Amino acid sequence: MLPAGPSSREPMDAGALVAGPAKDQALSGVLDRLTGGVTERPDRPDAWVTAVRRLPALDARHAPFVDGIDERVREVLRQRGIDQLYTHQAAAISHSLAGRHVVITTPTASGKTLCYNAPVLSTVLRDPSTRALYLFPTKALAQDQLAELHELSDQLSRRNDLQIGVFTYDGDTPQDARRAIRGRAHVVLSNADMLHSGILPHHPRWAKLFENLRFIVIDELHAYRGVFGSHLTNVLRRLRRICQHYGSTPTFICSSATIANPRELAEALVEQPFELVSESGAPRGEKFFLFVNPPVVNEQLGIRRSYLAETRRVAAEFVKRKLQTIVFAQSRLATEILTTYLKDDFGSPPGSTEEIRGYRGGYLPQRRREIERGLREGTVRAVVSTNALELGIDIGALDACVMAGYPGSIAATWQRAGRAGRRSGRSAAVLVASSAPLDQFVVRTPSYFFDASPEHALVNPDNLHILVDHVKCAAFELPFTTSEQYALRLGLSEGLAQGASAPAVDVQEVLGILQEGGFVHRAAGEDGEGVWQWTNESYPADAVSLRSISSDNFVVVDTTNGADVIGETSFTSGPPTLHEKAIYLLEGGLYQVERLDFDGRKAYVRQIDCDYYTDAITYTKVTVLETFETGNQPAADQSRPGLPGPASHGEVHVSSRVVGFKKIKFYTNENVGSGELDLPEQEMHTTAYWLTVPRDVIAALPYAADDRRDGVVGLSYAMRQVAQLLLMCDRQDIGISIGSGEHGEQTDLTRSGDPAMLSDEPRIFVYDNYPGGIGFSAPLFAMDRELRDRTRELIAGCECQHGCPGCVGPIGNTGPLAKTAALRILELIGARQIESADTRVASL
Amino acid sequence: MTSLADRLRGVIQLGPPKGGPHEDDDRHERGDRGGRLQAAYDSADEALGGDWFEGDGGRFLIIDRSYSPGHRHGWMSVADGLPPSAGVWPRLSLLADGAGGSNLLFVDLETTGLAGGAGTYAFLVGCGWFEGGRFKVRQFFLASYLAERALLQALVGVARHAGAVVTYNGKSFDLPLVETRYTLHRMETPFAGMPHIDMLHPARRLWRGGDGAALGAVVGSRREVAATSCRLSVLEQVLCGHVREGDVAGFEIPARYFHFVRTGDARPIEAVLEHNRLDLLSLALVTARAAQLLDEGAPGTRTAREALGLGRLYERGGLFTDAWRCLNRAIELDDDDMTTRGEALRAHAVLARRMRRFEDAASSWRRLLDLPGCSRTLAREASEALAVHLEHRLRDYQSARGYAVQTLHGDLTPMRKEATLHRLARLDRKIDSLPIASLF
Repeated sequence: MLPAGPSSREPMDAGALVAGPAKDQALSGVLDRLTGGVTERPDRPDAWVTAVRRLPALDARHAPFVDGIDERVREVLRQRGIDQLYTHQAAAISHSLAGRHVVITTPTASGKTLCYNAPVLSTVLRDPSTRALYLFPTKALAQDQLAELHELSDQLSRRNDLQIGVFTYDGDTPQDARRAIRGRAHVVLSNADMLHSGILPHHPRWAKLFENLRFIVIDELHAYRGVFGSHLTNVLRRLRRICQHYGSTPTFICSSATIANPRELAEALVEQPFELVSESGAPRGEKFFLFVNPPVVNEQLGIRRSYLAETRRVAAEFVKRKLQTIVFAQSRLATEILTTYLKDDFGSPPGSTEEIRGYRGGYLPQRRREIERGLREGTVRAVVSTNALELGIDIGALDACVMAGYPGSIAATWQRAGRAGRRSGRSAAVLVASSAPLDQFVVRTPSYFFDASPEHALVNPDNLHILVDHVKCAAFELPFTTSEQYALRLGLSEGLAQGASAPAVDVQEVLGILQEGGFVHRAAGEDGEGVWQWTNESYPADAVSLRSISSDNFVVVDTTNGADVIGETSFTSGPPTLHEKAIYLLEGGLYQVERLDFDGRKAYVRQIDCDYYTDAITYTKVTVLETFETGNQPAADQSRPGLPGPASHGEVHVSSRVVGFKKIKFYTNENVGSGELDLPEQEMHTTAYWLTVPRDVIAALPYAADDRRDGVVGLSYAMRQVAQLLLMCDRQDIGISIGSGEHGEQTDLTRSGDPAMLSDEPRIFVYDNYPGGIGFSAPLFAMDRELRDRTRELIAGCECQHGCPGCVGPIGNTGPLAKTAALRILELIGARQIESADTRVASL
Repeated sequence: MTSLADRLRGVIQLGPPKGGPHEDDDRHERGDRGGRLQAAYDSADEALGGDWFEGDGGRFLIIDRSYSPGHRHGWMSVADGLPPSAGVWPRLSLLADGAGGSNLLFVDLETTGLAGGAGTYAFLVGCGWFEGGRFKVRQFFLASYLAERALLQALVGVARHAGAVVTYNGKSFDLPLVETRYTLHRMETPFAGMPHIDMLHPARRLWRGGDGAALGAVVGSRREVAATSCRLSVLEQVLCGHVREGDVAGFEIPARYFHFVRTGDARPIEAVLEHNRLDLLSLALVTARAAQLLDEGAPGTRTAREALGLGRLYERGGLFTDAWRCLNRAIELDDDDMTTRGEALRAHAVLARRMRRFEDAASSWRRLLDLPGCSRTLAREASEALAVHLEHRLRDYQSARGYAVQTLHGDLTPMRKEATLHRLARLDRKIDSLPIASLF
């Protein structure tokens, strides 16, 4: 089905973009088309445009140059037309020059790089022995920053007889250049992975850096959450030991997108107290934010019109009015499809410069630079991109941003939307929802996005698996003394302390066990104080990847032409994604698994062309090992004191086995076939949140046994979506299971379709899908109330009749009463709590 | 609920502590630490000999050996390795600037692994030097990691007397590792700025067979020994005729040390010390052999490979006349090794051109082209060089054209092909413009 968009080419004057008042007018034109001219109105969850919000323009707030900024730096800035600072820049710079750690959360294009370059370069100019280390989540970002820093440092070097060395140091740095960089770089731009495996284990070679390390800049701090963040904390613990050894105490300067807990995250990652600078002084033009939900075309199945077609239609409205537009797609495949659509609509005549471009990882760097330049200079009118352009790559500011699908978190959505919006003049951002449950929840509950605080980024640096790996690395780098501590947990505020599920682990105890394994040996001095000497031939950092929790993984081998390794998957997610006949998706390409060599940890795949993907049916058994907390509402919910809640969290044992799979059609999520599988069982200890549906609630459900079961299954399906939303995590980061009884056998009802009976007191488990847990369970327990409320909103707000992929799961998974029963369960649980509160009040 | 210790064991994938392979360690761990340390020291004393030194709560052992001039190492003896009367080898400066005329200190490490990085350390530093006609060895053995700083300090005392350091593969391994250890302890490495001869590189030039063959002839007997690698233990066999018996394999060494650290049992270490001493002795004799060759020049060489390698060493050092003699000898020596022969002819031609002996160069290029089984790359280079020579110096355009055509038949990169076609066109123009008479 083709959308009712522009269907024929609409040639335009080459490179023509509107400007000034004409632009504002053009933008108003689009908004009129999309909203029918009404931009001030309440949200309408069932409408095509569910929400329209106007964010008023903000004036700039300036501050004079901070005293500590070197005169020479000021001069170079003045030459670039910067005569004063924005207030947030001044605040951040004073903090860091005074040696206070600072985290800055301000929107895209608010001049945050100056917040670290000014203090760093000023300090280098005053004391040329000064060194600084910048960490970026991607190599591309480091390259982008390198260009900017080079420009600044060249100008400074020219007038100051001091060569300020600025270099990137990552996996792409040629071996022969590395020595020179170690000696000459004042500023090293690198990433956490390189710091972990290339710099820290070789710290003596970097002695000059560590002796003089004054600043550590961590850009895009919010990228370090979950497993990655838990690893980073440990990498920074190791860094701290090494700095201590060489006698330096660097100041941290971090920047983050808008998340709920930037300071807590910074303090959890660095384990030292931070100052927060969150009020931007940068000016902002007026901005409109719209949510678009493609209309339902099949009410029975809850199927909506293709969101890609819808995105094309919306983007075309902007492009045809000569407004520079960025379109974000969720996958490389979607990027290519949308690029093709828009080129069909607006392609330039052959031979002229392309005005519609695609942009994603995998394009050659030269091509990417050309597109970035085209965007800045206005020769590119529209770009369709993956999240590759979400982070700080400099492309200037555009007029409109259209997002095909919810980016997965509030923070990422604001960051993408920030790509549109100049310092003056109007701009617009449009989110087009796909039929995925998260998307549906967000567009149908706009207040969640606009009014609530953004997500919490969570880390659990004391996950035993992660901790032990890094203690090994640390012991390799510098022997621990027999009285040394490792985790500091300095300045941890309440919120994150809860996120740490277990008490701090004594590193001496870890070392004792490592000695049993022959990794270290306790060499005691005469006075009893000694060191743990490394007694192993390995280079432990090589065995630890910061992006996953265990080094045991499955590799994916493409046998289409020869045998190329094209990807890898963690051990836990191997069987469900790489079983035989599974469809493996990589960069929009589809591959079918032909053989899974479980023991060899290899999956052999071949490229195919099909219109479905597969979803594994997993039999999961969760056994509670220890309950940490149960019932009570968290401190944050003091308004309802002491309500006995139905939720708990604690440590669990999860064993899972993939028993089959379903074929699901793309876009419509229809079930188009299935198969059986027999794979080995996988086991792990992890942490979980669980909701117990009380006996009397089940008993009070006025439905047949099957329908009750469907209600619980549907509820768990919806809860998973909401948990993912609240935890700011990826789908595979959490797992779900239904069971009963503390220790008994439990039957998973979520996927199997098995008509097994529901126990009379079922439990819905949401567990951390990583051995040892990654710190999701305690926060989820703390958010229990919100989790249930949001789940109810998701189910109740959905306009399907009996269930759809957007709420309690596609029909066919569950029976016709799933929705009704799920809602009823939530209501009964809620009522039960109020009742008991009343009882309590009455008894006082 | 499992205890933290058990959970940790699960994470590290260890079995339960009782009855496992680590029981020994565990018992020691629980035992009286002081007593155990003393036992370890006593055991090491007995097994290894030497004297204890203390530092920072730990101890290290110094073991001295002195080898008499008559001490045999294969068919060589320590006396064969002694420098001439002046006590130094001046021409060693060809291998490392400033190394000639200095006291040489031979250094070889035994380390806790090959991985590199701050967690790889030397538990044994072996030093050797010639003194009073004898070869002396001093080994520093790290019994406790705590004593590393003190050990490094003691090493400075030995290094202070040296003018140059000699290693085998020390450029990429031993010296950077030593430097790392000093830096880690915030100390200055005594080898900074000291001339350093890494014998691996000259040894490769002089003694590695063309196709992994031809090494054997060096020994002057039959050429039965073929070597594919240039490992020190191989050179030791080929050059000194020394065959090690009961030598400890290199990969086993870290494990032996870790065993000592955990149990205090020093017996397996003795073999490591001996291994290290033999390495030092071989290194000294191999270095002496190279130094002798550098002194004697072409007449001293015994194979084409050796002559070629020596010629190249001279050429690199700017001693063209000596190099010339060596390369001539490399060509003249009767040898079946066609690879070496090809390389020698090429080196000879290139050197001749450098020395502006163009006719000699042309003659070597021609002989190269006639060589059976001459590689395509070499043939291409030869025909190209001959074409240039004939065109620009002899102005024999017809012959030059012949070589240019021959070049064209070889495997050419597009750029070279274009250049050759360009040359052909130019030659054709020159031939056309010649007076008719000159064609006959």
